[in-house]
Formats: sequence, structure tokens, C-alpha cells
Amino acid sequence: MVEQILNKKFQKELLSGITSLVLLGIMSQSEEPLYGYQITKLLEPVNDDEPIVKQGALYPVLRSLEKSGLLSSSVEPSVSGPPRRYYVITDAGRQTLIEWKSIWQEIKSFAETILEGEGNEQ
Amino acid sequence: MSNKAIKEYLSQLRKELSGSDKAIIRDALADAEEHLRTALESESQDPANAEVIQNIIETYGTPEEIADAYKAVEIYARPTLATSMAHQNGNVMTRFFGVYADPRAWGALLYMLISLLTGVIYFTWAVTGISLAIPFALFIFGLPFVVLFDLSIKGIGLLEGRIVEALLGVRMPRRSVFWKKDLSWMQRLKLQLLDKYSWLGLLYMLLQLVFGVLYFTVFVTLIAFSLAFMAIPIVQLVFGYPTIQIASGQYFIPDTLLPIAVLLGFMLLTSSLHLARQLGKLHGRYAKFMLVGEQ
Repeated sequence: MVEQILNKKFQKELLSGITSLVLLGIMSQSEEPLYGYQITKLLEPVNDDEPIVKQGALYPVLRSLEKSGLLSSSVEPSVSGPPRRYYVITDAGRQTLIEWKSIWQEIKSFAETILEGEGNEQ
Repeated sequence: MSNKAIKEYLSQLRKELSGSDKAIIRDALADAEEHLRTALESESQDPANAEVIQNIIETYGTPEEIADAYKAVEIYARPTLATSMAHQNGNVMTRFFGVYADPRAWGALLYMLISLLTGVIYFTWAVTGISLAIPFALFIFGLPFVVLFDLSIKGIGLLEGRIVEALLGVRMPRRSVFWKKDLSWMQRLKLQLLDKYSWLGLLYMLLQLVFGVLYFTVFVTLIAFSLAFMAIPIVQLVFGYPTIQIASGQYFIPDTLLPIAVLLGFMLLTSSLHLARQLGKLHGRYAKFMLVGEQ
């Protein structure tokens, strides 16, 4: 039980930045504006694995990315149901993604080097 | 059935978020509703199926988890208007009319209007202080007076900084500069007289009257003109008054041109907001230069 809580906490801490990175990555690959549900579908695990991030937890990150000017959004009515908020990446977002990717690479290789031992270094 | 389940979920989420910022609650509820309804629509031919909706809610996350996620992001979100970077993208039209949705433009406009009031207060305070300080300087109690007056300038400068940050979105200091405690009045006076920002703060207070009058006049005029243009059709068609009346000469705008008058008023109003935003930016920079000591 304690182990589970510790795992959850560790996962949460690790994920807090990576979610932003992944969302920005997804948005940069998309040609057209996407709404929340489409984005969560794109991030769905391939097989029936337990999802790493709960779908609902992606929305606040989208909002915060928008607040920082990395995404922009517009609300459009849908044929049925509530209006949808469509997100699209901004130029600032693309710039930031490039920087974040290199930060991510640095951190990843740093952690891997230490965890795998220097013998496995590429 | 499905509607009820979604409503229930939303009310639980609202409960979990109680105490958070209202905007956050609104965002969270809107996001959840959009997602759940969309998911329900696209995943199920039978929207009444309880199992499907249960599944959707499960993959979305429990109200607890989702509330936590929003709260976690809230910590990093800045509460001031400093982050309104939206509307930088988009075409000319969206950028032009997007100003209505920009809190900074409205904040700046409000600042321009209240700066008349603050300008008058600052000016009165500064002039009273100076004119008392000079004759008081002949007496021994002139010394603490000058020191206290200078402290009041610092205090008002801090307050003005808060107003500037809240309305113009320019980051300003939140605490006053640290002062040594064990100083005599004389040493204090010397230190303060030598401090560039004592004088700049005083100058700012004096000049604020000029800026206040200028801003207030310009924006009240602009807004009045915009509204007047937009009201021309009502004035002419409903009340039968002329648009312009000089002595006994009455001038009416032809009916065909009325839409143009409205459009003109609308454009003028929009441009005024743009002007307010730009002036706000400049004034913010100027205030920072005058009031903030370099660290």
C-alpha cells in the first residue's frame, strides 16, 4: 500500500513536465486545430494498458499551455452537444518545443547514463 | 440516464474543487462536460448504456483526480494580467477585434481613467509635502518631517506599483526596499537625499497629474465620440434630432450613410482599446523606470 502511494507520487512528479512536452509535441504534428477529446484519443495507449495520464488531467495542462501563449484556442459550436474548444500551436509554442525537446534529451540521457551504468552509454 | 450521470459527475467535480479560483472551477467543468459528452457521442450507439458511460468516466479520471490536476496547475498559473499572450497569432481581423477579449486592454483603459484621480491625489500630496518641508527645514523638526515625507513617497510608489501591475500587467516590486535600522535621523536623511529613487518617485507623483489629465481627457473623448457615432441612427431616426446643430443650422446624415457612422464608431472604439493597451505598455515601462530601484 505504502509502495503504491510512493509509486503514484513519483509518477505524478515525473509526469508534471512531460505531459506539457508531449501535448506540445502532439499539437505540433497536427495540421489542423484539435479539440480535447481528439487529443486524448491520440494519446491513448496502443494496447489495453492502463493509461499513464488520465484523460481529464490533460485538459488543465492544455489550459496552462494556452495561458503561457504556447497554444491558442477558440471555442466553436458542435453539431450536437456542448461547444468544443479547439487548440492550435502558436509560433512561440513551436519555438519552445524545440528547446524543450533538447532539455528532455539532456535529462533523459543524464538519467539513463546513471541508471544503466556508464558501460551501456551510447 | 447518461445526462444524469454526467451531471452527477460535474457536481462531484465542483464539490472537489470548492475553494479554488472561480475561473479554474469554470474551466474544469467546461472541459469535463465537453469531453464526456463528446466521448459518449462518438463511442456509443446506445447513449443510455450505463456501462459505456461508466467506462468513459473511468478513463477520464475520478472527480478527485481531476480536481487535483487542476489545482496542481493553478499553483503555476499567474493571477495577474501579465500572461495574456493570446491573440498574437491569427489574421489581421482577429488581432484587431481580439482586443475586446484582452484583459490587458481593459485594464489599461481603466488605469487611464482612474489616473486622473490618483494623479490629483499624488500631486496634492507631493506639493503639500514639498512646501511644508522647505520652511520646516529651518527648524529641528524639519529633519524627521523630511524623512517621513520621503518614506511616504516610497509607500505611495509601492501602492502605485501594485496598481500598475494589476492593471497594466507589468511586474512591479511587492516589498519596500530594506532599510537599516540603527541609523540616526541625520544619517537617514542623507541616505534618502542621495537616493535617486526618492527624487524620481517625487517627480513621478508630480507628473502623474499631467498624465492623468491627459489620459482621462483623451479616453473620455474617444469613448464619447465612438458612442456618439454609434448612436447617430437612433438619434436621427428615433428621436428626429440632427446629428450636428450649429446655431439654427441643422445637419442630418443621409440614411444610406448611417451604417457607416455606426461602423466608424465601432472602429474608433476598437482603436481606442488598442491605443489604451499600447499606452498602458509604455506607461508601465515608464513607471518601472521611475519607481523601481535597480537591484
